[in-house]
Amino acid sequence: MRILSAIPTMLRVGFSSAVAYRAEFLVWILTTNTPLIMLLVWSSVAREEPLGRMGQEELGAYFLAALIVRLLTGSWVVWDMVFEIRQGEIAMRLLRPVHPFLAYAAENVAALPLRALVALPVAVVALAWLGADQLSSDPLAWAFVPLSIAGAWLITFFAMAAIGSLGFFWESTLSVYDLWLGLFFVFSGYTVPLELFPPEIGAAIEWLPFRFLLSFPVEVMLGLVDRSAMVTGFVAQWLYVVLFALVAQAIWRAGLRRYAAYGG
Amino acid sequence: MLSVRNLVKHYRVHRRRPGLLPALASVFRRRYTVVRAVDGISFEIGAGERVGFLGPNGAGKTTTLKMLAGLLHPTSGEISVAGHVPFRRERDFLRSIMLVTGQKQQLLWDLPPAETFELNRAVYEIPRDEYRRTLAELVDLLDLGDLIHKPTRQLSLGERMKCELAAALLHRPRVLFLDEPTIGLDVTMQAAVRDFIREYNERHGATVLLTSHYMDDVAALAPRVIVIDRGRLIYDGSLENLVRQIRPDKRVTFRLEGPLPPVEWARFGASVVAQDEARIQLQVHGGRLRELVSWALGQLPVADLVVEDPPLEEVLSELFARRHEEGE
Amino acid sequence: MLRYLRLFGIQLRTSALLGMQYRLDFVLDALMTLFWTASSLVPLVVLFHQRSDIGGWSWPQALLVVGFFTVLRGVIEGAIQPALQNVVELVRKGMLDFLLLKPADSQFLVSTSRFEIWRGVDVLAGALILVWALVELEHVPTPLQALSSLALLCGAVVILYSIWIAVVALALRVVKVDNLTYFFSSVFEAARWPAPVYRGALNFVFTFVIPLIVMTSYPALAIVGELEGRAIFFSLAGALVFALAARLVWLRALRSYTSAGG
Repeated sequence: MRILSAIPTMLRVGFSSAVAYRAEFLVWILTTNTPLIMLLVWSSVAREEPLGRMGQEELGAYFLAALIVRLLTGSWVVWDMVFEIRQGEIAMRLLRPVHPFLAYAAENVAALPLRALVALPVAVVALAWLGADQLSSDPLAWAFVPLSIAGAWLITFFAMAAIGSLGFFWESTLSVYDLWLGLFFVFSGYTVPLELFPPEIGAAIEWLPFRFLLSFPVEVMLGLVDRSAMVTGFVAQWLYVVLFALVAQAIWRAGLRRYAAYGG
Repeated sequence: MLSVRNLVKHYRVHRRRPGLLPALASVFRRRYTVVRAVDGISFEIGAGERVGFLGPNGAGKTTTLKMLAGLLHPTSGEISVAGHVPFRRERDFLRSIMLVTGQKQQLLWDLPPAETFELNRAVYEIPRDEYRRTLAELVDLLDLGDLIHKPTRQLSLGERMKCELAAALLHRPRVLFLDEPTIGLDVTMQAAVRDFIREYNERHGATVLLTSHYMDDVAALAPRVIVIDRGRLIYDGSLENLVRQIRPDKRVTFRLEGPLPPVEWARFGASVVAQDEARIQLQVHGGRLRELVSWALGQLPVADLVVEDPPLEEVLSELFARRHEEGE
Repeated sequence: MLRYLRLFGIQLRTSALLGMQYRLDFVLDALMTLFWTASSLVPLVVLFHQRSDIGGWSWPQALLVVGFFTVLRGVIEGAIQPALQNVVELVRKGMLDFLLLKPADSQFLVSTSRFEIWRGVDVLAGALILVWALVELEHVPTPLQALSSLALLCGAVVILYSIWIAVVALALRVVKVDNLTYFFSSVFEAARWPAPVYRGALNFVFTFVIPLIVMTSYPALAIVGELEGRAIFFSLAGALVFALAARLVWLRALRSYTSAGG
């Protein structure tokens, strides 16, 4: 654990790196506009009468919160890993006395201030437009917000790291990621608030990992879940964090063994 | 410092004929061929030695270096580097070695090298004042000056390689593996890198194992060479001995002041390598050199003469050619 | 003209051969494309589970929009985007000059330099969705309706192509432009939804500036005969304006590229 002392420097250098790529970064962030389109779609439907308990304002708050969570939990480690494995550059990481996951994580987290910079105006607009009424009034919920966002980020990161590690075995790993992303779009609440699914399906979706990547933090932020559902959701989320971390590490180790047997 | 015993690395290569059907068939039954990249080599290198690692393309040099650096797992055999088994990739091991290759880089592309240095300081846990001292020394030795504050992408290939070396040496590795460190560099830059490596080795007593296509690198840097071919060790010893053993002949070049009369060079056992109006270069066995030179000085319009060993490239290609003829 | 048709055929064939090289990957790509097309129908299905219309557009009508959207995305991903990416790559490696040396129109060569045939499965998937929607509507388009919606679809392809060519022209100056195409793709996603979703200023922008509504909602209206002739005429005229503007931008960019000396 001595290596933890390296983290501040890793974060600082990662931040400089993100700043060096700020133009690309901005474009990438701007491509995250699906929640805004979905906001228009759903609120145009809810104009005459609310969908269940969600009226136009609730849907507005939902999708703006979804946009903020998505901006804060983004990661790109899967592309980096696939690229570096294919190009053999992964060797340079393996030579360093620090687990590559930690290095990748630092690079991704370091970009957070830039992401927050974009997320902030969204939050301001949302507050100005909808007021604070839409937000949860439970202080306990607000204690859970950062934790649930951190959990969402960790699941995203480890899922990507697991898929990226498959790159040791197979060149077309990004197709697997596409599959994951497709499921994410449908089942995370990114395009459809999960409570609008027919109840029979909704109950199942609630326990898939995807909800904990996006919908869950949003629900906590907006007070859409009561305290007990919040606590069970939180436990489930962090169990997924542990599960994905273990899976990622297992695939990584298997991949490394294969890499060491066949070479890059 | 570094010992290798009966090192073997075999790859099983999956053979597949092109086309969709064979691709499908291969899902069920795979055919493999075994490639013996490294086939039982042993050597020892003492602390502070500089050793050149030679062999034709595909001889197993890079594979061996990767095994020594812990990137590849040997099929069998034992390796010990700085008291560690490389493939365990223990932190202390990783902190005492470094691999520099001319083709892959660790510098962050869009940031100045100084940022990568700083990152390495943290990752290798180098104490601050030691880091400052080492960095100052490296900047001085490599003549880096302000380069380390320019974004890497703006540096020339040579400048980048120098910064790459600095990044690799900040943690003062005790063992340094260099894989084609001068590839693509111009002649002056090659010489600069070469001088630096020797200087670094002499100052800090680091063990250096180097592969290079440029024989000048090896000739200038490595008193000892290990030659492998098709995964097997075929020579381990001083460079001087290797040359003497394979090619006992010398090259003599005469600069001429006037036209050359016809000469029967064969009577000295010599042959003409190159000739033009002003110069003639001959190849002659070391034992008859004296005889030839004294005759030529007496009989021919010689202005000047130079005696050299044959180029290392030729020595090596002859070594490999001989082995292949012997049916190995 | 005939010469260019033949050239087009040759470029297409080269890309097909290239595609065959990695067919397993490409089949996989095609499958992923279909998966995405199917999964992106989910929000629509859920929405119509809750409601019977979006701003007056029924389920099969909204499905028509999705059908045209899917066809167009197939064209973008199969033909327009690969060519663009290829040009950006050529500019980066300094190899665009070789292409410009060839004795044919540069814009033509640039825009036909690479196809990704397998991505084109979306065109088929979109066609199937259109058929499905028409069956649900129990509507058989008259020849005039079919023709006008087809004309609008071609107009949409021209508009998309023109926007992309303008982006390529930009690539001649600013190399790191490929990110912009991701951005445009993500904006194009908005074309998946029928016109009433976009109101006020956004409706104006998506009709006249980035005419997403013209590209997908108009053909969906035309095929059931609900679009006035005037709107069809102005849409096609608009497409022509886009094409001419793109041509001008391209020629200007090329002039400054060649005079800059690469």
